[in-house]
Amino acid sequence: MAKEKNNQNDFIVDVSNARKSSEIIYEINSTLSMPDAQNKNICLKLGSVNLSASELQSIRALVECMNSKLKFICTDSADTIVAANELNIKISEIPNKLKGGKEKTSAELEKALDKIFGDDYFDAGDYEYDEKPVTRLEMEDSAETPEEKISEKTSEKPSDKPAAKEKSADKPATDDSVIIMPPPAISLEDEVIKAIEGREKDEYRRTKNEPSFVFDDNGNDITEEVRQGILATEKLQTLYIQRNIRSGQSVRYDGNIVVIGSAHPGCEIVASGDITVWGILGGIAHAGAALEDEEYNRYARVRALKMNAIQLRIADVFARRPDSVNLPYIQKSESFIPEEASIKNSRIIIQKLYEE
Amino acid sequence: MTGRVIVITSGKGGVGKTTSNANIGTALAKSGKKVVMIDTDLGLRNLDLLLGLENRIVYTIVDVVEERCKLKQALVKDKKNPNLCLLAAAQTRDKTAITDEQLKDICKKLQKDFDYVLIDCPAGIEQGFQNAIAGASEAIVVTTPEMSAVRDADRIIGLLEAKEEIESYKLLINRVRPKLIKANEMMSVEDVVEILSAELIGIIPEDTGIVSSTNKGEPIVNDEKSLAGKAFHNVAKRISGDNVPFLDLEQETSVLTKVKKLVKTVVDKVRKESK
Repeated sequence: MAKEKNNQNDFIVDVSNARKSSEIIYEINSTLSMPDAQNKNICLKLGSVNLSASELQSIRALVECMNSKLKFICTDSADTIVAANELNIKISEIPNKLKGGKEKTSAELEKALDKIFGDDYFDAGDYEYDEKPVTRLEMEDSAETPEEKISEKTSEKPSDKPAAKEKSADKPATDDSVIIMPPPAISLEDEVIKAIEGREKDEYRRTKNEPSFVFDDNGNDITEEVRQGILATEKLQTLYIQRNIRSGQSVRYDGNIVVIGSAHPGCEIVASGDITVWGILGGIAHAGAALEDEEYNRYARVRALKMNAIQLRIADVFARRPDSVNLPYIQKSESFIPEEASIKNSRIIIQKLYEE
Repeated sequence: MTGRVIVITSGKGGVGKTTSNANIGTALAKSGKKVVMIDTDLGLRNLDLLLGLENRIVYTIVDVVEERCKLKQALVKDKKNPNLCLLAAAQTRDKTAITDEQLKDICKKLQKDFDYVLIDCPAGIEQGFQNAIAGASEAIVVTTPEMSAVRDADRIIGLLEAKEEIESYKLLINRVRPKLIKANEMMSVEDVVEILSAELIGIIPEDTGIVSSTNKGEPIVNDEKSLAGKAFHNVAKRISGDNVPFLDLEQETSVLTKVKKLVKTVVDKVRKESK
């Protein structure tokens, strides 16, 4: 990768060697983190990679996170040009081979997306961390994923806040007021206590958080559908386990599972509903599983005081632990950060349940 | 008199089950308790080697089970300590030669005559393991500060928890190397305890003396200078109910460091007085 200074304020980043969107993100991340690449207009040389609008948007958000601006891009891919047009990103004046290429239909774009983000069982992607705390039933993330792939690279460091900025990605980056502040979150403790006391859990949620709008991939409003899905999951029967689940042990239950204790690495918890671990989750958790020939439930969630699952599975979506946290010593209870995993746009996303 | 039946197990092999068994047994016997050790590792017996009793074995546990001899005839007395006995495993048979019920019976009989019945468990979770834990009411899970050993210990604890007869289990962490822990290259004792969430009964430091003691057939608890020996003595004391603090493994032994420490304490004293 080469980088050259053009104008005093212009900065060309050449990532034309990259073959995947993740490589591009990595290159940009490492280049722009250098001090002399700050506060610059970035000209991005993309090569022949096919990027979707969402990926391009996340790249732009990343650039803006680094205190720079994406001035224009230079690409050989027709897909990328279509995506750039959608986002009003300027395309370089340098003539491209395929510039006049025919516009791709959304179905074709989707296909290209599947190629990159295919949710293959054996090639399950890392699960991701979303810095934004969970906002109950308030999930306006139709435009948020799958470009949240970006948060996987950056959100592990507390200094970066790509997820928060992504929302404002298609508005001027300088306007901080655009960032949506998360509403007050519900503590998991309350919820579990409530569950133990046998009260109605759903009531608690409805009153505290008014649901906002949720859209599916085609832009249809599915707020009500998601809400009903979550509520239906909550109304399932719940199994309480008041001990540690150790390596080699397996729990299967047609309903929700609450573990008061830790789920050690090597264990397996499978539920047709939600899974809540009041301790460290280190094994495999499969929520919303299709038990006994039922249909799987994509609205199921996995919660834990410390989410360190080797694999998270919700319904038919699988995600493994990012390799970066695969350290043997990690499973310590020093810092308990309650987190929740759920499916958003066919990917498993983890969100904090509350912020300190 | 009903003695306590304690199984020493680990899941993973090579973490020091047999060594722990030999040393804890010897230490308990040294404190005046009557101890019998049962080797249930049929076909791969080692406990007799560690105790240096290999040449004295006439009958084994399989002979007892198949009624070729009486139980008392099969007990091998230790060379030095008459309080210590061994019921050896058969080297020529495999784990299927005895059943869990038969071992339960043997434990019940031995309980009447001994304060402690220590069962040496084979590695794995198959028939041999099931046999070994059958008669026990307590367990000591041996592990080393390695991820594989800890994971296997976790599995074993899960199996022990599921067994109603096992009233309590304790954790013995073997082959601890304080220097590596300090350099952050080894899991610390706290890490292991945290991961397994089990009660600790002892921390044994890595000791090169173990190798020669094994080869000599003399448990390291007989060596009064050895740190590992001291640690095993402490484990024995804890088993018999004494509250003994855990050893400080970071004992500096070289002369230079001792001198340095001395100078430091003197300087500190002088400073305090001058203030």
